[in-house]
Amino acid sequence: MKSIMKKEASIAVIIIILSIVLSFINPVFLTIDNILDILKGNVVLGILAMGMTLVIITGGIDVSVAAVTTAVCVVIGKLLVMVPDHIGALFLLLVIACLLGIILGGINGFLVSKIEIPAIVVTLGTMSMINGIVLYVTNGQYLNSTDFPKVFLKFSNIKILGVSILIWLFFLIAILTWFLLKHTVMGREILAIGGNKESALRVGINFNKVQIFVFAYMGFLAGIAAIAQISYTKAVDPNGLSGLELSVIAAVVLGGTNIMGGRGTVIGTILGVLLLGIIQNGLILARIDIFWQKVVVGLIILLAVSYDHIQYKRAQAQLSRIEIDS
Amino acid sequence: MKKLKFFVSLLFLFGLLAGCVSQNSATSNKSANNGQASETKNDANGKLKIAVVPKLVGIPYFNAAEKGALQAGKDLGVDVIYTGPTEADAAQQVKIIEDLISQKVDVIAVAPNDPASLTPVLKKAKEQGIKVIDWDTPADQSIVELSIHQIDDEIYGRHIAKTLIEKIGTDKGEIAILTGGLSAANLNAWIDAAKKELEENYPGIKLVTDKIATDEKQQVAYQKTLDLIKSYPNLKGIMAFSTPAPLGAAQAIQEKGLQNKITVVGTALPKDSKPFLEDQSLDVAILWEPNKLGYLTVALAKDLVEGKKPQDGQNIDNVGKIEVKEDGKTVIMGPPTDFTAENAGNYDF
Repeated sequence: MKSIMKKEASIAVIIIILSIVLSFINPVFLTIDNILDILKGNVVLGILAMGMTLVIITGGIDVSVAAVTTAVCVVIGKLLVMVPDHIGALFLLLVIACLLGIILGGINGFLVSKIEIPAIVVTLGTMSMINGIVLYVTNGQYLNSTDFPKVFLKFSNIKILGVSILIWLFFLIAILTWFLLKHTVMGREILAIGGNKESALRVGINFNKVQIFVFAYMGFLAGIAAIAQISYTKAVDPNGLSGLELSVIAAVVLGGTNIMGGRGTVIGTILGVLLLGIIQNGLILARIDIFWQKVVVGLIILLAVSYDHIQYKRAQAQLSRIEIDS
Repeated sequence: MKKLKFFVSLLFLFGLLAGCVSQNSATSNKSANNGQASETKNDANGKLKIAVVPKLVGIPYFNAAEKGALQAGKDLGVDVIYTGPTEADAAQQVKIIEDLISQKVDVIAVAPNDPASLTPVLKKAKEQGIKVIDWDTPADQSIVELSIHQIDDEIYGRHIAKTLIEKIGTDKGEIAILTGGLSAANLNAWIDAAKKELEENYPGIKLVTDKIATDEKQQVAYQKTLDLIKSYPNLKGIMAFSTPAPLGAAQAIQEKGLQNKITVVGTALPKDSKPFLEDQSLDVAILWEPNKLGYLTVALAKDLVEGKKPQDGQNIDNVGKIEVKEDGKTVIMGPPTDFTAENAGNYDF
């Protein structure tokens, strides 16, 4: 338990140091306006990272998240230009987006658990299929907000206490995921399976059920992320999310989730998303030359992960010493 | 349970097969009618076969080019095969050209993803008596008989810079440049030309930072523009290269209500940029008309087979006057088109 808290603390320390450095270089960094922009810009990444945390804790991985989100975006985009300008239509779309996401995620979960194909193979397959279908349906056509109903544009501009609704949405999802992981039987089962699959099976946890659940939950969040993405860009770009799955996985791993499964927290993932967002934002504010930005990004990621890993190893060493002593 | 597994894997297999079939059927009906063609070269009705290969299919730009190419085929009485890879991948493009060679087309016009990797296969096509030309992006110049450019890179870059300064209204101030990707040769050529124009004629303009990459994505351009606005509060203008970048930049300007303070000029398609042009968050979109480029490619390909070389100042129906460089094979379609709030509605790409 303590080692998990330490893990988060180490990422937080890196974020704080980075923030201090950045605000010295450019005072704009610490303005509320800028921080809200960073948060808003990473809502889609953050929502997807929540689901990915659960998937990775069970020892799986889902590389089809960006494709699923794009597919939902495209379907919702097609519906958006058809629905009447009414608040009810908005809720209907939200429900459709979630259902569609759950179905697509459920297919992944079904293939992974029932047919026992490794998760990376399944999701690579579904990613390719979904991308192909999306390309066929849209022909790459970009859809802009001219034909969107006004109520949708109004929704995406709502601010509560000066903070965009998208950011609230992200926090809502984070709390939901935290609650799920911490206080429900399902959440405990997810952690148990990631920790030690054999013992989890022996105490009677239904492995298939848990796997289908995490992939369906991932799909559900992809549906929500699709709505957030359309609200954020006020457009549907079939190519706009390509490659996002890598950032999502990077954020989760940066946040201290073990890529082999078993370890991971919601807070950690939030910090991972923040770190990625701050790096992206800070590099322009710090006026670092474009060619060096990529080098710096890689450097910070390596630093963060190795710092974190060294901490972890130290804790482990301490543990084994105690065992010898006793 | 076992049955279910079997059923599902069968279903999966079908899915995979269906994927292959749809791709094959597109090419196989072409190869079917070239089965007869292989003997006489031209098919039964004696029509020329012109293959136009884009960098990739399924993006608005190349869809518009396809429309123009097919229209030209109809107008000029030639068969046009428009086919390309589903992503901008050189290896896939090689396969498609191999396929076209075995279909014995008369002309292959290609927009290469990577010029060097296409050289061997284009050589092979040439050896089999197929005329090889390039369009949109230059291929290996020692192989192609014609090189059709949409625009003169130098003139285009300078025109964009000039338009930006004109719209800012003063030749003093800070500006920034967004680009699609750091390694795209054509974007870099335009940016270099634009920079040259600024250096030579507008010494009062200061570029605040090196060009910023936006990964050909609107939301990345949007975020980077937000960051730019904050780090450089005196910013007066943004030049955005690659088609999604101006949209992202304009979206940021629109959201922050800076239409009167920051001028955005970029290379975008009119249909996509219309909402931004209308509220002045995007001041001008500058591009050529890709449908005309497709049309011109087919028209010149037909002339080439008939032994006619393009002439400087020659008038091509539905395209306009073209420019031919001194080497006799580099063709330039014409000056760029400015899309503004007034005329953006007239285009369907």
